[in-house]
Amino acid sequence: MDDVLYSIRNLDVRYATRFGDVLAVEDVSLDIRRGEILGLVGESGCGKSTLGKAIMRLIRTPGRIAGGELWFDGNDLMTYSDKQMRDVRGGEIGMVFQDPMTSLNPVQRVVEHLTETIRTHEPKVSDLAATARAEELVEKLGIRRERLDDYPHQLSGGMRQRVMISLALALHTKLLIADEPTTSLDVIVEAKFLDLLRELRDEFDLTILMITHNIGVVAEVADRVAVMYAGRMAEVGDVYSVFANPKHPYTTGLLSSVPNIDLAEHDLYKMEGSPPNLLRPPTGCPFHPRCPKAMEVCARELPVFREVADGQSTACWLYNEAEVSNG
Amino acid sequence: MTTETRPDYEQEWRENLEKVGIVRRMLSGRKWFGVDWWLVAISAVMVLAFIIIGIFPGWFAPYSPDIPVGPGFLAPGASPALPVLVSLSTSGITELSDLETPSGAPRPEVGVVKGVPTAQALNEQARELNSQLSGTGKELRPRIVRFDTLEEALQGVVDGTVLAAVVQSNEYEAVAGDFPTVVEGKSVTGGTASQGGFILGTNRIGQDVFSRLIWGTRIALIVGFSASLVALFLGVPIGLFAGFVGGKLDRFIGVIMDSLYSFPGLILAIAITAVLGPSVLNVIVAIAVLYIPTYYRIVRGQTLSVKEETYIEAARSIGARRREILTKYIYPNVIPSVAIIFSVNVADAILTGAGLSFLGLGLPPDIADWGIDIAQGRLVIQSAWWLITFPGLAIMMVVLAFTMMGEGLMEIFNPKLRER
Repeated sequence: MDDVLYSIRNLDVRYATRFGDVLAVEDVSLDIRRGEILGLVGESGCGKSTLGKAIMRLIRTPGRIAGGELWFDGNDLMTYSDKQMRDVRGGEIGMVFQDPMTSLNPVQRVVEHLTETIRTHEPKVSDLAATARAEELVEKLGIRRERLDDYPHQLSGGMRQRVMISLALALHTKLLIADEPTTSLDVIVEAKFLDLLRELRDEFDLTILMITHNIGVVAEVADRVAVMYAGRMAEVGDVYSVFANPKHPYTTGLLSSVPNIDLAEHDLYKMEGSPPNLLRPPTGCPFHPRCPKAMEVCARELPVFREVADGQSTACWLYNEAEVSNG
Repeated sequence: MTTETRPDYEQEWRENLEKVGIVRRMLSGRKWFGVDWWLVAISAVMVLAFIIIGIFPGWFAPYSPDIPVGPGFLAPGASPALPVLVSLSTSGITELSDLETPSGAPRPEVGVVKGVPTAQALNEQARELNSQLSGTGKELRPRIVRFDTLEEALQGVVDGTVLAAVVQSNEYEAVAGDFPTVVEGKSVTGGTASQGGFILGTNRIGQDVFSRLIWGTRIALIVGFSASLVALFLGVPIGLFAGFVGGKLDRFIGVIMDSLYSFPGLILAIAITAVLGPSVLNVIVAIAVLYIPTYYRIVRGQTLSVKEETYIEAARSIGARRREILTKYIYPNVIPSVAIIFSVNVADAILTGAGLSFLGLGLPPDIADWGIDIAQGRLVIQSAWWLITFPGLAIMMVVLAFTMMGEGLMEIFNPKLRER
């Protein structure tokens, strides 16, 4: 069995606007390994969520997947028909969204959400059997089965998020994409939720892609971390290595911008500038206008994304010196 | 995110409301969602009443709306003139059968006034009673004596020239004070003067205005409801579809709907009914066409906004089909706003329907309809005000009830639509 569950190769996602195409995701390659929790971090608008949606081919017009390959469990998803894709969505890849308040249909009972998901993928299952499965599932997630007959607005935010997970897990999901699942939860609920994710990973043999802008969450649960900047992958690596020894200057900046109780006396690092306009990204490395270590070559040419240390890859000229001197 | 800007204040009065009893809650209900609850309550009662009247007009209408039941142009509350028997109070004659005589005895003399139809009524009734008496040795064959004026006839009764007189009740009432010894008996045709009144008067050909009003409710509601329902059943799917599919199709449908919408409503309805000819069905069709864009617009707009909600994205992420997303996720979230505008729409359709029949288009003229009644009453507005006043009031009340209910419900259920 292949070690990699989902492999993204040179993915391009573009959004058509009146002013031209926005390169939301550009030339991103990423492997998601079986059984890991991969944290995907970056600033707002850097393409994290777009990447998450692209993994399920959920990009809607005016957006489109302009190029690249998506390999899931040895299958090329780009060649799948709409029908096949629907079977994958919810069937093998599940997704949890940022705002649990709005991600459940307000006019449907919780149980209907679940039975519908089950019966969408397994039409032969009777309503009764589906309900039984739903009850079993939500109890595992710590929701009393009486609550199944409630409408979403009767549940708390944490509960709704757990319902969302149970929806994503209703079938035999292999990959769970969690798009900022804890952003709208308070810290106590967030901590419980992260514990739950870890338990589920072990219990269901899940692989989880955790999209977040919260470095602390990544540090808490992730095995590996991927850092995106301006639609491109800046750095990918083992969470301990990356946090202990960040290679990309952007990762360094990001890590020093994390608020910390210990650092209360010090000033928080504030990164210069703001993320580039993706309609007209800067030439060369997209980070060079804000980079404290920018070199002349950075403005001219794009660095290659490659492994620079054991299990740690980055796209930065700092580690491409040989090529710089050659070129 | 669409966060309300006043959750604190809203929370506060919600909590306060929880603490009080049901009666107090209703009374302080002015604060509920900012709408006057009693407005909705009153309009709901009115709507219910109109619907009951519309379904069972026979229970409320004293007469048939189609046949003449009395003299024409009788004012509201006025009694129709009855041929009543008057005689001396000492004579003990109160009804026609008191004039019976043994066969062969001299015939009693009864006075009438020339040029007044009482003589004919007397003759007919007397002949009928007489035929019932055949073989009993009695007969009822009054001799009719004609006087030039009512006063002369009554003087004849006082003087004893005639035993009794049959006079028009309304004319008699005017001069009754001058003849204290004369008393009014029963009508020769049966019934008394107080019976058989027309509370809203009669129209030109003697139909009861009140009965026509009652039966007109039925046709108004049929037109209003059917037209709105047809418009709803066409407009809602079109709006859903256009909003969901989007793109060129949406723009194409949008242009058609906008041109329908921008066309002056009544003129379009006039054109349609003029082409289709007069019938209830055609009026319904014409008005329905008029209101399709209303539903289309509301539903399309709602669909567009619901379509972008996270739960639609979530539905897609669990592999729901497009059809399922449309029917199970978008449709149920869109339909409440439709239910609310439906009520307002019914009111509008009733108004348009009445307008059409007022213009003589649409409904066949033999139907009891408010618009037709107003159109006919318009010609005699100076002499018979009641012919247009009451149908006009009826239209106003029905439209008011439905509109008020719709607007009230709209404010209660969908505060966001309030500024619409």
